[in-house]
Amino acid sequence: MSINKDLSIRYLGIDCENPFFLSSSPVGGNYEMVAKAYEAGWGGVFYKTVGVFVADECSPRFDQTSKEGLPWLGFKNMEQISDKPTEQNFENMMKLKRDYPDKVMAATIMGSSDEEWRALAKMCEQAGADLIEGNFSCPQMTSHAMGADVGTNPELVTAYSRAVTETTKIPFVAKMTPNITNMEIPAVAAIKGGAAGVSAINTVKSITNIDFENMAGMPVVDGKSSISGYSGAAVKPIALRFAAQLLQHEELKDVEISGIGGIETWRDAAEFLVLGCRNVQVTTAVMQYGYRIVEDMKSGMMHFMDERGYSKLEDFIGLALPNMIPAEGLNRDFQILPDFNVKKCIGCGRCYVSCYDGAHQAIDWDEKKRKPKLNDNCVGCHLCLNVCPVQGCITPGEVKWKEGRQKTGIKIKRNYD
Amino acid sequence: MSKVTKAKYTSEASFGFMHRTAMEEAARCLLCYDAPCSKGCPAGTDPAKFIRSIRFRNPKGAAETIRENNILGGTCARVCPTGDLCEEACSRCGIDRPIEIGKLQRYAVEQEKTFKMKILKAPAKKKAGKVACVGAGPASLACAAELAKTGYRVTVFEKEKKAGGMLTYGIAPGRLPQAVVDHDAAQVKSLGVKFEFGKKVGDDIDLTEMDFDAVFIGAGLWGGNLPDIPGNSLAGVYTAVDFLKNARTMKEAFKFGNKVVVVGGGDVAVDCAVTAKLLGADDVRIVYRRTLEEAPGNMSEFQYALSLGIGTTTNMAPAELLGESKLEYAVFNGRDGKSGMKISADAIVFATGQKAEDLSKIMPMALNEKGWIKADAAGKTSIEKVFAGGDAVNGGGTVVEAVRAGKDAAASIIAYLEKRGVKQDVN
Repeated sequence: MSINKDLSIRYLGIDCENPFFLSSSPVGGNYEMVAKAYEAGWGGVFYKTVGVFVADECSPRFDQTSKEGLPWLGFKNMEQISDKPTEQNFENMMKLKRDYPDKVMAATIMGSSDEEWRALAKMCEQAGADLIEGNFSCPQMTSHAMGADVGTNPELVTAYSRAVTETTKIPFVAKMTPNITNMEIPAVAAIKGGAAGVSAINTVKSITNIDFENMAGMPVVDGKSSISGYSGAAVKPIALRFAAQLLQHEELKDVEISGIGGIETWRDAAEFLVLGCRNVQVTTAVMQYGYRIVEDMKSGMMHFMDERGYSKLEDFIGLALPNMIPAEGLNRDFQILPDFNVKKCIGCGRCYVSCYDGAHQAIDWDEKKRKPKLNDNCVGCHLCLNVCPVQGCITPGEVKWKEGRQKTGIKIKRNYD
Repeated sequence: MSKVTKAKYTSEASFGFMHRTAMEEAARCLLCYDAPCSKGCPAGTDPAKFIRSIRFRNPKGAAETIRENNILGGTCARVCPTGDLCEEACSRCGIDRPIEIGKLQRYAVEQEKTFKMKILKAPAKKKAGKVACVGAGPASLACAAELAKTGYRVTVFEKEKKAGGMLTYGIAPGRLPQAVVDHDAAQVKSLGVKFEFGKKVGDDIDLTEMDFDAVFIGAGLWGGNLPDIPGNSLAGVYTAVDFLKNARTMKEAFKFGNKVVVVGGGDVAVDCAVTAKLLGADDVRIVYRRTLEEAPGNMSEFQYALSLGIGTTTNMAPAELLGESKLEYAVFNGRDGKSGMKISADAIVFATGQKAEDLSKIMPMALNEKGWIKADAAGKTSIEKVFAGGDAVNGGGTVVEAVRAGKDAAASIIAYLEKRGVKQDVN
């Protein structure tokens, strides 16, 4: 790697060599896996959730969604917390911390009672974990005293957070469920219980596909299926939204957030960071592609920093957060009309079809030349720009001010990938 | 060392799509407005529609779109020069490379077989009027299918034992597997078209004595062309028609030697060379009298030949064939008047165009000076009830052109029969 930039960050008082962590999931459930992940370059690992409860898993347990031949748009997982003995998991964590002292070991735990949470927190301390994450959010538990059902109950979140933070001084992170309207409520409840940070999001309750062969959801388990957690690229927009809402909340704005949801590339990770997250967690992309994806996350992030003159992550963390504002606050005084580059246009007519059927009939079609031409109906919605398959063919053009509105200097996005 | 592909005579020249790869390719399609690809097909195939069906997970609908329009949809998917037709028109050429329309068509037609679909149906109530089609090649099959779909009763007379004409006897099976031709032909049969095999019209049958209300002649061109040069009657000298037919019918039992020269610059020449190579000849070369730029063959076919280790020599015309009773050497003269070469060869194949057999034996309609049938664009000949199309009219074209000619002639025949008002007979 010829590029070299400082990716280190202090997260909840722990020095991390980079912000890229594995989230608590099948990708970090034993010694060998975590060791391999560390060696591949991950800064830390949230070890697969450990409870007193030992899971009894179904088969098969995964499914995925695709669009236009592109698989893994989203991923469904029915696996619960670790199915290994509790003691063995903590022993693994202890050995990993011993063998990889510079890497961060975060123990994710889940109890079903005050006593269980306290007992698990004690074991985390004995194992030498750097961080403890409380799993208040797994949507596929076979017990309703655990997981997402707890995460939507602020009283239980506070109580269980307190059970951990009263037991140990290790910083405690509460992992949130997105299956709720206002995540701020359980997040505030966790802080009230002594949590130092919040991680979001866990998976979204889903039915990915219906199998017509068995008339059941996927995956089909003996002719049946269950609602369970959806993750991967498809959920990233939802995750970013929750992260921004948490970080903008008055009582949470100083809380350190770990962003989770659909991260596959350095770019995805950087999006969470510019909203204000100080750590990111990944599972689905690792399940699809393996631990090696961290290589391009690190290298790509360094190149991004190099291009923009950042020397450390703190230089850009949170930069985009103030620019997420309520809809009523947007400047609605102008329309940016699209500009058509006739030389680049290949004459496919997709802009014409979409503008007519999905927007404002603002494009006329020259049948002979096979070229679009903008007419006066255009409102500057940019649907055409979004459907055009040619890079740089349709771009933001003339700024038209609505009648009677004051012209001002405005910021415009000019470059589209 | 170069990597030359080894293949069997009957192994397919290219992979087809599976469901996932077809979806990937369909996803590349821009789904154009007023799609240019759909205007590029002589047979009127609508790729934009069938690709959209694949994209929106309706492969059966895609199969219907193809089959309803082109009775030889499976064959055309394999042998069409798509690079000069629909794929050349593809808007995606403006970004990178065209959608592989031929291969998507192949995938869609394969769904018909996979799902045992029966797409075409002939009306239960037959129309008055019986039509004879001469030959079971592409033009005749297309004409017969159109007529049967409209409700006419059609009989196809074929001199060989199987349907397909040149598709069955004149194309290398790696490019067009027999099963694909058979499946297409089976669709014609399923419309109620009667086939009389082993009947050569003019020799075995006299159509003028039979009560057909109209006749379509899609007899093709089955006379091989041998140049008028010394030695052209030696053993080991073949016309392309005979060479390919021997290969298709005898397969590995066809013995023609180890060193083979194919003369010609069209797809047929490439087919002959590929056939010779795949049937075991070590040394196969194509010799063409002009340059590759001038060659009528599809460049992708020459590239395929090259991938099998078959080279092409240009600007060399055959001058003399030497040997006692059997070919030993072929002598060529350069186009520049200075160059020349003498090649030791066991066999030489002349793929230098086909000529007509005596077509007037079929029906006494007017022929042109080359012996091809004189017919207009609608397939009308000098005799009112006789129509014609395909190679016997155009002197040798593509399969898709023959399909077009057969369809056009069917439309003319239907118009003729309706105008003539053949009495409705009770079925």
